[in-house]
Formats: sequence, C-alpha cells, structure tokens
Amino acid sequence: MADRRKQKSTKSRYTEDRGMPGAFEGETVTRRRMMTGTAHAAGGIAAAAFILPSVGFALGPVFEEVEQSWEPVGPPEDFPDDTYVPKVITLVDGIGETGKTTVYIRTYNPDIDTEPRDEYNAWIALSTRCMHLGCPVRFVAASERFICPCHGGVYGITGEVTGGPPVRPLDRFYTRERNGQVEVGPRYSVNSELERFSPRDPGQPLDGIGPYVYPSRPTIRKLPE
Amino acid sequence: MNRAEREAYLREYSILKAQGKPFFPYAVAKDSLMAVVVMIVIILMSLILGAELGPKADPTTTTYTPRPEWYYYYLFEVLRVIKPPELTPLATIGVPTICMILLFLLPFYDRNPERRPERRPVATVAGIVTIFAIGYLTYMGAEAGSPNEIELETPERIEAQGGEVLASFEAGRIVTAQSGCLACHKIGSNGGTIGPDLTDVGERLPAQAIARTLQNPTAPMPSYDSLQANQPEQFEALVDFLSLLREDSE
Amino acid sequence: MPKLKLPKPPVPDALVPRAKRPGTTGKTRPLDVAKESGISAIDWVDERTSLAGAARWMMFRKIPKGTNWFYTLGSATLFAFLSQTVTGVFLAMYYIPDTAGGAYESVRYITNEVFLGEFVRGMHKWGSSVMIILVMLHMARTFFFGAYKYPRELNWVIGVVLLILTYVMGFTGYLLPFDQRSYWATVVGVNINGTGPLVGPYLNDFMRAGPDFTQSTLARFYSIHMMLVPGILAALIGAHLYLVAKMGTTAPPWMKPEKKGDVDREGA
Repeated sequence: MADRRKQKSTKSRYTEDRGMPGAFEGETVTRRRMMTGTAHAAGGIAAAAFILPSVGFALGPVFEEVEQSWEPVGPPEDFPDDTYVPKVITLVDGIGETGKTTVYIRTYNPDIDTEPRDEYNAWIALSTRCMHLGCPVRFVAASERFICPCHGGVYGITGEVTGGPPVRPLDRFYTRERNGQVEVGPRYSVNSELERFSPRDPGQPLDGIGPYVYPSRPTIRKLPE
Repeated sequence: MNRAEREAYLREYSILKAQGKPFFPYAVAKDSLMAVVVMIVIILMSLILGAELGPKADPTTTTYTPRPEWYYYYLFEVLRVIKPPELTPLATIGVPTICMILLFLLPFYDRNPERRPERRPVATVAGIVTIFAIGYLTYMGAEAGSPNEIELETPERIEAQGGEVLASFEAGRIVTAQSGCLACHKIGSNGGTIGPDLTDVGERLPAQAIARTLQNPTAPMPSYDSLQANQPEQFEALVDFLSLLREDSE
Repeated sequence: MPKLKLPKPPVPDALVPRAKRPGTTGKTRPLDVAKESGISAIDWVDERTSLAGAARWMMFRKIPKGTNWFYTLGSATLFAFLSQTVTGVFLAMYYIPDTAGGAYESVRYITNEVFLGEFVRGMHKWGSSVMIILVMLHMARTFFFGAYKYPRELNWVIGVVLLILTYVMGFTGYLLPFDQRSYWATVVGVNINGTGPLVGPYLNDFMRAGPDFTQSTLARFYSIHMMLVPGILAALIGAHLYLVAKMGTTAPPWMKPEKKGDVDREGA
C-alpha cells in the first residue's frame, strides 16, 4: 500500500486527474477501454473487408458507361414522311431476342416536325417505350396516335403527349445515313420543346426542374452536340 | 397510453394469460389444422389452375398488353386513375410511400388504450374503408381491358335484325378497336376517359354527323380523313358501328 | 491474499447416478437400452445444448383465455412461407437464369417434362398468392383486435417490414419464368422505382446493372429472390416469433379475466 502511494505521488496532474487505478505516467486510456475499442474497431474492419468489396462489386455497373452502336435499318426510300415504319434493332448484344427493341422510323417532315434540322434527325426514330412507365406503345395509323396499353397514355404523330399520364414525349434515337443505309444510333430523351437530353428512364419528366430532380446517369449519355 | 394504463393492461393480461391454456397442444392443434387447410388450398389451386406459362418475353412487341399479378392490381389501378402527368411521381412513389409510412407508424400515432374495435370507431372505420378501397381498386384493375379490344356484348336488337346489320356491327367493332378510339374514348366497359363516352353515341348523333366529326374533329382528336381517303370501306364500317351504339349497349 | 475456499460445484443433472426403477433387475438388457434409445438420444443432445428449457419456454407458455381461430393466421402464413421455401429450393434445381432463352426454356421444361414439375411450380406460384392473402388477413386481425398496441409496437413494425418483403418476393419472383408478363411487369416495376427523385435514376441502373435490361438483370433478380430477401425474411420471422413468445399473444379485446381466480394450473 505504501508502495502505491509513493508511485501515485510521482504522477503528473495529467495522468492523475483521470483517476485510473494503477495507471502509468502518461496513460490516458484504461486497459478495458482499450480492449473495448479494439473489439469494435477490429470487428468493424473485418466486417467492412467483406461488405465493402461486395457492395462495390454490385454497384460497379452504375458507374460504367455502356457503349452505344449504330445499326443499319434499310435504305432511305423505305421510310415515308407521313407514317411510321417499325424496325427491330439490337440494344444489347449476346442475349438474343431480349436485347432487341422496336423503333418507329419516318423521314423528317418540315410540315409537322418543329425542331431544327441537324445531322442527326433526317429521320425521326421513336422508341416504343411509353414514357409513363415503359410499356410497349403501338402506332395506330388510322388515328395517327401512339397508344399505350397500360395506364392510358396517348401520343401524337411526333411523339408528343396528347393524353394520359406520360410525363414527356416518346424517346428518340439518333439517325444518320451511311453507305446508302439509314442507321439508328444511341437513344436520347426530349422535353416537350423537343430539346435533347441524355437518356432518362420512363416516368422522369424533363420540363422545368425535371432534369435536376432526375439527373442523367454515368451509364448512358447523349452524343455531344 | 400513459403509465397507469400500461400497468392496468399488463396486469389484466397476466391474469388472462394465467387463466389460459398451454400453447402446446391447445394452440398448436389449431395451427396444425389451419396448416392442413392452407396446404389443401395451395395443392388444389396448383392441380386445378396449373402453372400457366405465357408466351416468351419479347421486348420488340407492340401488341402485348402488360398486366401485373393480381395482388398488384390496386397499385396498378392507382397509376391508371391518377391522370395528370404532373402527378405521375405522386402515383408511382408518393402514394405508396405515404401509405407505407402510415402503416409503419400506426402504433405510434394511435395512442388510444382501448382495444375493442367497437370502442375505437375512427380506427375501425379507417380499417374497413382501407379494405374496401383496396378491394375496389383491385376489382377496377382486374377489369381494365386492352385499348385494342372492345368489350361489348352484341345488343339483342342487333342480334335480332341479324344478317347485314349484325355483320356490319361485328366488322365495325374490329375496325374501331384497331383504329385506336379506345385510347381516349370509352365504349362499353373499356376505354380511356380523355374524350367523351361513345357507348351511346348513336343515340346522340346520326351517322352523317359521326362521319363529319371523324373527318373534321376538334383538337386534340385526330382527323380520320386519311382513313376515309385510303380505305373507305373501313371508314364506313367505323361509322356504321358507332351509329349502331345505343344506351342498351353494354 | 488469503485463498478463498469455494464450495464444490454441483454435479450436473445428467451425471447424477439414477436410482433403479422398482421392479427391474440390476442388469440393463440390450432390449431396455433399445427401448430407451429415443429418450437417451434427446438426453444426450440436451446435456450438450440445454435446449430443453428453451423448448419448454416456447411450447408450454400459456396462451390467454379466448384464443380462437383468428390466431392461427400468423402460423398459417409461416407455413405458407415454409412451403414456398421448400418448393423454391427444388425449383432452383432445374431453373437456369439465362435471358437468351434458357430461362424460359428451363421453366417450360419444368412445367412440361419434369415429373411433378407443373405441380410443384403451381404450388410455388399459387403459394405466393395464398401467402399474400394470409399476410393481409393476419394484419387485418392484428389491426382490428388492437394487437399492435403497447407492448407489441415493435412487432407491428417488424410485421410491416415482412409484408413489404413478401411483396418484394412476389415482384422479383415473377420475372423468373421470363414470359411476356414477367418481362413487362419488371420493366414497369423498375421504372416505378426510377421515379424516386434524385436517387431514382441510379437505383434503376443498380437494379438492371446498366441502362438496359441485360443478362445481369435477370441474375440480379434471381439472386435477390433466392437468397437476399429469403434470408432477411427468415431472420425477421425469427425475431417476430421470438417477440410473440416473449410478449405473449393478445387475448381477444372483449375478453375479461374471470373474477374468481380459478386459475388453470396445467403447465403453469
């Protein structure tokens, strides 16, 4: 006991004020506290060591840009300027039918198309995905309407919304002519003024604050203007 | 619930529990019998209804009418009835999220210590209304047809006339379904609500007026002029069918 | 320091020599050993696990007076879950998550070729509907009987999570047959998630593993449907059941204790 008291007196206020029995000079953490900390830290590190790589592995595709390709769909004379011709193109290679989609294509018609002509819209190629929630729309020539079978969306001849819940006009694909063939390229989205935006998923409006509430993603971008 | 009410509940519950019976075998017997009933139902459903496999997935289709599993019908119907595009996010995410939060927090905002359903009328009525709402929406979702199909029984008066009238009615039904009218108009139990209901249009307008409207409609309705020019017989069939629709068509 | 003299620890029950039963001879014949083999096997396990107490606590707890058929809905849901688990595991033995045609082909093979294939797939398919109905009924019972109130609030919250996970199982499950309905319902479902502000677009890319539907999409849904959600479901069902046993099942709300206090002592 006497021994102890002697030791105690040699300690600085710094150590003594912590009131740890049997503490060495300069000691600020009890052994129990140290062990508790070790248990939490080591456990956390060990768990993070398998959780973080797994989550990163699953999240990987969210940050990877997918390559877009151009695909010939036929000679220019196949496409009239007052009605649409359906063509099947491949979006994703290697998975057969599941990677394909239908696009409706017609020639640019100055009487009905309001957007300025440029190198990518000599032909208007509309996606068949309803911009409400992605159901397959069908072009009805008699009424010149695209009709969605799910929740009542209706689109006009340029893909503009004429009724129902869709939030923006039908998505489009870039088109160009190469070697006497019309080629369909990457997809892009449009707002009600037909301005081009990076592709968004259905249900995401692009008017007003829409493009900020539903930002574009690293995986798929529109072509640089 | 305040402290006294909690204590009162726990005290009463412990007496009720002490006056009860052991879980095994009294409750387990009932549970096992119920399990047998559940398995009989599942097995009978499997044997009678089978495991149907639809046509193979085809992302290129433009004719398929997607419908969810029946237990999603009420959510599906919410998407159909909330029409304005500005409210679409509300229908897809907003309403389900709010309902989910209300469900999660139920024990925290319902602080009424009373447990008998007849003594907490607000909660009981809310519960019953919810059940009826889900039931009604599920029914409406199940009834929602394809916009490429007219669900309308051929009225008796047309069946009775037979011959040419019946033939033109049936031909017109197909043309009308293919012409996309149902996207905006309701005919029978099926169709959109953007334009006026056409179920009894033949009563309101004579055939010539229908033809005139089809050719010179008011916006946003499209003109069927090109149909008249290119396929006059189809246009005729369309007009004939519409002019035959009366109040009794259902 | 003076050494403390501790008393000898008591001998564990299993090691206390048993007195002979009256009427038996000192010798144990092989037949007797065989007769007792069931009991001795259980004794052997219990000596090494002490599970008997837990089993007694779970099985012989009292359930309050007035417990009726409405109280079987929870266990019926559990039973439907077990049925789904077993049929699901066996369906996985034939299923191939391949978007290029293999998935649909394997489900067609299960339905048309495998012995009892359509029956087991039918059980899994209709079992999901039955499970959803039972979950709903169980929740309605809990609601109308006020069983979510003190002290069972936490169990209600776990129950709501279980309800949502059951719906997630339904959603991820019906992509797997890969027929038209599967595909388009998944497209719509994923896009519904995409309408969440700010995170929606990224969440969609995560669910599809890219901007379009690919092979990885189906693999993801398969993994979620087969492993992730069932694992969470099983764990939460365990917690749900533990809380049911711990807090006790509620009595019907109109049930009042008898005044006389003629307590049934059986199993108390």
